[in-house]
Amino acid sequence: MNPNELGTYAKNTWCPGCGNFSIFNAVRAVLAELNYDGTPIDNVVLVSGIGCHAKIVDYLNVNSFYSIHGRTLPVAMGIKLGNPDLNVICFSGDGDCLAEGLDHLIFAAKRNIDLTLILHNNRVYGLTTGQYTPTSPKGFKGKSTPLGTEEFPINPLELMIASGATFIARGYSHGIDLLKRLFREAILHKGFSFVDVLQVCVSYFNMYEVYNKRVYEVKSSDLGNFEEALKLIRSWNYNDSESPIPLGKFYEIEAPQFDRLFPGYEPHSVDTDAMIKDVLDNLI
Amino acid sequence: MATQLVAGNMAVIIGALYAGCDCFFGYPITPASEILHEASRYFPKLSRKFVQAESEEAAINMAYGAASAGHRVLAASSGPGMSLKQEGITYLAGSEIPCVIVDIQRAGPGLGNIGPEQSDYNQACKGGGHGSYKNIVLAPNSVQEMCDFAMEAFKLAFKYRNPAIILADGVLGHMVEPLRFPQKAVVPEIDISWAVNGNAATKGNVLTSIFLNFDELERHNLKLQEKYLKIGDNETAFEEYKVDDADVVLVAYGISSRIAKTAVDIARSRGIKTGLYRPITIYPFPDKRLSELAGRGCRFISVEMSNGQMRDDIRLATGCAIVELVCRYGGNLMQIDQIMQKIRELT
Repeated sequence: MNPNELGTYAKNTWCPGCGNFSIFNAVRAVLAELNYDGTPIDNVVLVSGIGCHAKIVDYLNVNSFYSIHGRTLPVAMGIKLGNPDLNVICFSGDGDCLAEGLDHLIFAAKRNIDLTLILHNNRVYGLTTGQYTPTSPKGFKGKSTPLGTEEFPINPLELMIASGATFIARGYSHGIDLLKRLFREAILHKGFSFVDVLQVCVSYFNMYEVYNKRVYEVKSSDLGNFEEALKLIRSWNYNDSESPIPLGKFYEIEAPQFDRLFPGYEPHSVDTDAMIKDVLDNLI
Repeated sequence: MATQLVAGNMAVIIGALYAGCDCFFGYPITPASEILHEASRYFPKLSRKFVQAESEEAAINMAYGAASAGHRVLAASSGPGMSLKQEGITYLAGSEIPCVIVDIQRAGPGLGNIGPEQSDYNQACKGGGHGSYKNIVLAPNSVQEMCDFAMEAFKLAFKYRNPAIILADGVLGHMVEPLRFPQKAVVPEIDISWAVNGNAATKGNVLTSIFLNFDELERHNLKLQEKYLKIGDNETAFEEYKVDDADVVLVAYGISSRIAKTAVDIARSRGIKTGLYRPITIYPFPDKRLSELAGRGCRFISVEMSNGQMRDDIRLATGCAIVELVCRYGGNLMQIDQIMQKIRELT
């Protein structure tokens, strides 16, 4: 499948230079590739929340659900539980799933439900034109923090490893080859996979220069080692302006999937009336 | 007296600061974000508290906490955020805690868009959350009133220990007009007769909305209903324009009332006796005068950017089964032609 076949006629309203274009291009290429490799595009569902990131589902000609601010993951969970054979990929922003919907992110990881979450982490509320988010560094001067925020940022990867995520990685919008690799592996991973993407917002928090100087790619040989992964994750805390920023896959383990815990429900293959009656009779 | 050109969302903050508001809790949402931005600029400079919360629910619950300690708290949002805040608002109402909430209405339902609408009317005026409660709801139609009603909302919220909502919209929030600053700032003191302020004087005060005993909860509800009746008797406010000899009365609030006013003048220039009745408090709905006008045989047209939500209140107030509706949706403002057409149909 040619990735261009996955485009739509929706007018693109991201700013020129927006990091979302890299995520879009990488995802489109990976989906086209996976379709060829046996993950049919018709069985893929994309889910987004509200924020600049969310427009991505309008630009990809794939089954999609443009949901509610903060609720990307619960909607995706519903879709996945409704039909566990679907391949559900979530797009969310740092405001979307680390502020308004933080509880859902923790529970998706805790349950290890087989979803992929791609975090468009631009570290600013872009659609509402520039307020600080949970990953903005201390001192960030946005429209609601004219004197600089006093809060320290959350390290979302640290939160994810603590919550039970079974696949943790970080990419950067200036590095599409790595994004493609990470997305592909995350989508194929069985369980909850979390890919943090340092996605630069050119309008309200342009970090290209900073990131370009500091990012480096790691190739961990011991992906199942919690302590090693944690060390790597903690080597940059989203706040300090000195340490190098590792990119790549940091952690991957196998664990039971929440979506496989439910016995199959086949409404047409059994006598439903008799089954209900049987259950109720035994209850009484 | 200082007069300055400001936007409606800024005027709310000026009014709140003059009203002695000392805490603001918000979350970014278009078209209300400027209230958050202006609060962040001015609250810290005046040693008042400002927090951008982690969610809409967090913001209203921070308000619940600070207000229960007797502070004058402002929260602001728009449609989707207001829906999220309903849980906190019903607890504020149930516990009788004063708080002012600004709703810069946008078009719905669901995500809708960021254009203006007036479709949060029912949510604001009929309760919005669970339980039999009411908010006091004020509807400004100018930048001046965005400021003045912020002060009035704090006055009423504290007088009745009740949430008060300023129901504006995306146009009122963003339009720029001259604002006369308030004469004098209120210097509030914490009311130790009910607030829970963490000291010996307020130790005996209890603020709660849980009454496990059925009869006790019924008594609490009856007390609330008595309060709402009293608010209805004392606090309704409205504005009239050329209704004295009118055959057709347009009823409109907020930004729609300004468009309706122009329609009144055009209709009059064509010899049709038309007037405008503008509710200023939309809860309590100013029904007595409307009832008088109905008794005189006036025909009514509800002019609103929603699906007849206010028309229901006009029907109740007038007893008229037929109240015409002129409405727009989707972020579009009312067109004068639309109103004129309906006036012509009636005359």
